[in-house]
Amino acid sequence: MLTRVKSAVANLMGGIMAGGSGAEHGGGSELPLRFPYGRPEFLGLSADEVECSADHIARPILILSKETRRLPWTTGYAEVINAGKSTHNEDQASCEVLFVKKKTGGANSTPNKNSTKRRSSLPNGEGLQLKENSDTDGINLYYWSLFDGHAGSGAAVVASKLLQHHILEQLQELVDILRNSAILPPTCLGEEPEHPAANSRTLTRAASLRGGVGAPGSPSTPPTRFFTEKKIPHECLVIGAIESAFKEMDLQIERERTVYNISGGCTALVVVCLLGKLYVANAGDSRAIIIRNGEVIPMSSEFTPETERQRLQYLAYMQPHLLGNEFTHLEFPRRVQRKEVGKRMLYRDFNMTGWAYKTIEEDDLKFPLIYGEGKKARVMATIGVTRGLGDHDLKVHDSNIYIKPFLSSSPEVRVYDLLQYEHGPDDVLILATDGLWDVLLNEEVAEAVTNFLPNCDPDDPHRYTLAAQELVMRARGVLKDRGWRISNDRLGSGDDISVYVIPLIHGNKQS
Amino acid sequence: IKIIVIGKWRLGVGKSCLLLQFTDKRFQPVHDLTIGVEFGARMITIDGKQIKLQIWDTAGQESFRSITRSYYRGAAGALLVYDITRRDTFNHLTTWLEDARQHSNSNMVIMLIGNKSDLESRREVKKEEGEAFAREHGLIFMETSAKTASNVEEAFINTAKEIYEKIQEGVFDINNEANGIKIGPQHAATNATLAGSQGGQQAGGGCC
Repeated sequence: MLTRVKSAVANLMGGIMAGGSGAEHGGGSELPLRFPYGRPEFLGLSADEVECSADHIARPILILSKETRRLPWTTGYAEVINAGKSTHNEDQASCEVLFVKKKTGGANSTPNKNSTKRRSSLPNGEGLQLKENSDTDGINLYYWSLFDGHAGSGAAVVASKLLQHHILEQLQELVDILRNSAILPPTCLGEEPEHPAANSRTLTRAASLRGGVGAPGSPSTPPTRFFTEKKIPHECLVIGAIESAFKEMDLQIERERTVYNISGGCTALVVVCLLGKLYVANAGDSRAIIIRNGEVIPMSSEFTPETERQRLQYLAYMQPHLLGNEFTHLEFPRRVQRKEVGKRMLYRDFNMTGWAYKTIEEDDLKFPLIYGEGKKARVMATIGVTRGLGDHDLKVHDSNIYIKPFLSSSPEVRVYDLLQYEHGPDDVLILATDGLWDVLLNEEVAEAVTNFLPNCDPDDPHRYTLAAQELVMRARGVLKDRGWRISNDRLGSGDDISVYVIPLIHGNKQS
Repeated sequence: IKIIVIGKWRLGVGKSCLLLQFTDKRFQPVHDLTIGVEFGARMITIDGKQIKLQIWDTAGQESFRSITRSYYRGAAGALLVYDITRRDTFNHLTTWLEDARQHSNSNMVIMLIGNKSDLESRREVKKEEGEAFAREHGLIFMETSAKTASNVEEAFINTAKEIYEKIQEGVFDINNEANGIKIGPQHAATNATLAGSQGGQQAGGGCC
């Protein structure tokens, strides 16, 4: 990603950025790191091993090979470092079994850190025995995450360590509501529910906390309503919790960057499994797909200057000062030349997906807000991804124009009900950073997986690990005289590549 | 200096055990089959110079060969390992050697290791056969036991010495990382650090 940022800026300004320093805020390097750089905790690598793995020439594929280190659901994971574009592998990942414990105390009190206890700190294997146990005060949660960093590894490392705790914190308040699936979530906490008999415990408790309206044992007649009320299903509260958690994570990075060196930004792709449903949250250009019975079910979409063009153009139209008088929010098929002023040229604005002609004015000579095609498209010639975490200090090269207002930390969350389908051992959810998807189509990934898995013993604990390794291998390729090559002599990915292969059959067992 | 440990076998010829003995000074009779690549590192001193050896231990099974092949890149040395108690592991050496030569730097130092020398009673490959194979292909040869630690130090250190000599002779271009040699920061004029890894592909992941 950094390379892309750099080359685009260099193209625009004719300058050369050294070492990505332009993307980090001044003096940041003197602050301590929030967390030391490393590879995902579950790989359990020593400092020496991390050093060995950062080999841009041999590009070793790292997998979870030790028996003692297993991920929940026998999830497979594999990663490989880039071919030299950045010193570190800037992808990060984490995977944990967590326990959402009911929040004790008032709804408005500061969340008690101790109440979000980590049920098992993988990878010690203990989490594997987790069952829907007799705990009445909480819910088990399975968590997988992938982050693709750019312009430094700081934000990705921080997010990989902390985002899950923000999710837990957001879910705490919802424990009773989510467990009570028979009754729709109350619109307003503290009011009498419409069917108090069925869930009096939950809501009267909430009510008593507010010390307000329905005290326990009060008459059960629902209050008369004179307006319509939206019915909000439970899963929408989980989606809301995840969305809030992303925002909180971004705010925390913003706050802490004044006391820590948290460099760069990152995309975030997170999967939460809660009460039989998978929630796939994506902010950035990583991707999740389900391969079920050989068929591809996309579980995310990418957020790039191209896919978010209209949002970005509209923002710039409403708040032109964000463009610093150097960019135009309009899009043209190519750069406009001075001699074309007064002529009619194709363009499109925020309200259009099609094209129209307009008379070229002086203002249209400015550099376009969004420029470039496909993987090369950039916002203000700087960044190729439009959602994620961090990047608070990212500016257009050699200017004081901040990029962050155009970036969103909000994920798109898709829900998949694990109970709707009886999954087989070859049905999997694939999560991967753009290093994989840049060179392989969904169908190629599905084909590789559906060819690979049936040839592995269904009871082999490494089955999904080897499938993940196979995918990374297919995207990295082999080093030939003319660089890394994959099948049909296509160019392999020189980017960091990280892949999870999550078997869905365990989801059925879970629930 | 990067050294890679090579060898192929289903049950393992003890590559991982050699590495563990060298880096951690311990022997682990039961070891998971290596299915990817594992790393070890140790500082040694040669000629008064601190040298960091990076050792890559690679999966030896046939099915991983396409993956492990790229790991020869940037290796300054390789340990080619067979099991003296299993003739078949010795018979496969030629294939491994060809693979290593084809995918590595032509100057890569290769040491042939006959492991499990503690199991004399079950020996199937005579020491002379190992010596002859090494002579024929221009390799250095040693018999080791990861279990008793016999010759393990020597195997790695001799390989490193050989690499070091080649560096002194100017055979390796130390400014090209693809040769598996990296000069560390010079803390003192006399203390140049060579970060090197021997890339040897070890066959099978099982141990000893």
